[in-house]
Amino acid sequence: MAHSDMDVDHTAHGQSMGLLRVLGPAHVWALGVGIVLVGEYMGWNFAVGKGGAYAALIACWFAGVLYSCVAMIDSEVTSTVAAAGGQYTQAKHIIGPLMAFNVGLYLVFAYTMLEAGNAITLGFLVDTVAGMTGHEGGLDQRPFIVLAIMFLAWLNYRGVLATLTFNLVITAIAFVAIITIFLATSPLLGAGEMLHKDLMSGQASLPYGWLGILAAMHFGLWYYLGIEGTTQAAEEVRSPARSLPFGTLAGIMTLLIAATLTWYVCAGLMPWEYLGDGVNGAVAPLFSAAQITGSSALVWLLGIGTLFATLASANGCINDASRAWFSMGRDHYLPAWFGAVHPVYRTPYRAIIFLVPIALIFALGAPLDQVITFSILSGLLGYTFMPINMIMFRKKWPLDTIKRGYEHPLHPLPAISLMALCSVTYFAVFLGYGTQLIAMIGFYIVVSLWFHFWRYRFVKRADQFTMPWPRPRGY
Amino acid sequence: MARYIPPVQSKLGQVIDVIVLVVLSVGALFVPLWLGLAGSAKLPVPVENPTWESLGQNPVMVAQWNKLGFPDAASAHDMITARYDYSFSWISLAVMVIVIVGYFVMMIRFSDIEYREVIAEKFGEK
Amino acid sequence: MDTWNYIEYGAWGLSALFGLLIVIDWIKIDTTYSEEMLTSSREGVLEAMTEKHKLEGGDGTF
Repeated sequence: MAHSDMDVDHTAHGQSMGLLRVLGPAHVWALGVGIVLVGEYMGWNFAVGKGGAYAALIACWFAGVLYSCVAMIDSEVTSTVAAAGGQYTQAKHIIGPLMAFNVGLYLVFAYTMLEAGNAITLGFLVDTVAGMTGHEGGLDQRPFIVLAIMFLAWLNYRGVLATLTFNLVITAIAFVAIITIFLATSPLLGAGEMLHKDLMSGQASLPYGWLGILAAMHFGLWYYLGIEGTTQAAEEVRSPARSLPFGTLAGIMTLLIAATLTWYVCAGLMPWEYLGDGVNGAVAPLFSAAQITGSSALVWLLGIGTLFATLASANGCINDASRAWFSMGRDHYLPAWFGAVHPVYRTPYRAIIFLVPIALIFALGAPLDQVITFSILSGLLGYTFMPINMIMFRKKWPLDTIKRGYEHPLHPLPAISLMALCSVTYFAVFLGYGTQLIAMIGFYIVVSLWFHFWRYRFVKRADQFTMPWPRPRGY
Repeated sequence: MARYIPPVQSKLGQVIDVIVLVVLSVGALFVPLWLGLAGSAKLPVPVENPTWESLGQNPVMVAQWNKLGFPDAASAHDMITARYDYSFSWISLAVMVIVIVGYFVMMIRFSDIEYREVIAEKFGEK
Repeated sequence: MDTWNYIEYGAWGLSALFGLLIVIDWIKIDTTYSEEMLTSSREGVLEAMTEKHKLEGGDGTF
């Protein structure tokens, strides 16, 4: 391929075609929260199944601490490394190419699997609505799964501004729906039909004992998984050094509120055995909660909320996964063909197209909890990378050597707590899903060897280091 | 340090590389499923002639079950008694720890070798 | 056969439509523009222009 050895002069800015800088902090918020908010509408309740309702709440808050560390660390590094690819680009500059390749794959898989999970939930939702309106014999969910993925891919293909403005609107509606059901069911304004005391007594308080709390951390991540995706927008944000930390930290606060309210509403209305069974029981727990209240207005609102949350999330996932895939193509970590930008829409269009069939394979072929576990594991590997990344970043470039848009406080405390929480979560995944964990790591070991001994030969060495930084300490 | 000039990859080579990656990733998810090794083995623990009481459900819980469309204890039996099996052997835990730590150690060492090359080419030899 | 069955067909149809729109545009773009032009995006080009970090020790080779 002739273009792959083309050497563009780095000073020839006018000739190169990059992504478009059009986004503001609200879009960053919409991208971060939009991806994650679906976690309150589905998936988190597997944590209830793994340890009971109390365990799920404790896991929710511990995971909240974990993600606050993630957000702080990420904000500091990304306000300095402002390039599409997010953590991938960070790893490339701070740790090294093989780590970057792995991180890029974590991102692509975490997001593509999450996208598949969203599409599955959407299919289920349409099926439920059809049943409620009197349709007999069930529905073929596949056309709706395919349609969701195709429509969002098309939207992403057409441009980032419209994509994320769409996300902003539907995310806001989904968030308001959570607040509304909380207000309508809590004693503050509504009937006060919360039954926590009775539903969580006796055997239902901690069905698996303390081990259950540990085990619940596995799906506790799901309340927040994906917030770190805000960094993918770095090349498309107008002032990354300010907007990215602002949007990310505002996002984590939104999610802490939404996660706690969601737990409160759902645990107060459903027995834990039902709530915790996300396959046969509460697939969409907030929607189920609305059905229990018997208010058709709430059923509609939360139904729409669930629909919008899944769409917003899948939309953001396509955005993020394609940015990461594109960045790797641009550096020749993957075939250079993927590093193309659409000349009119300025989107990484080939990466977007390529990931469509991948998402379809998983959405149509695998059960929801497996897809979610695959996504969580990739996410978790990414969070394990972050503290290593942060410690090396501060060591190679201490605070006085390069200017950071945001400096996180109390270093290295957040990095150490993040590492500790990651270890707990590995153990939690090990309880019940040990095989997938080993299969997953096995996969990454094999591709790492493939990259180091084969693929890396196609990568230009010095060109990967694009930041205008001084030489790292100790090298 | 001499600038490293990467070889040009043929179109066929690019396609093969992509296929390799896709096969590996699909395999990582589906092989455990096909082998029936995928966890989440949440199995019902059967209770003879279940009643709400024998399943440990109080009246408030029963009322919620009814609202969810489970009229009697037998219909909710499988869901209520399903439990994960959290028993594990310390050996398998040790294997997991070794695999994860080994993976990260290997990756960081290889990365460091590659990184030194990048820095040397970008900033010149020290 | 009720409304939902038609909606199913509609969803298949729309999926195909969006897929087709993407593929048609993709072919159009790939045949209109050169590969050099399409893959000319470079990481960090904007940063190099807008941000001036003090470089201490070592200089860029490009």
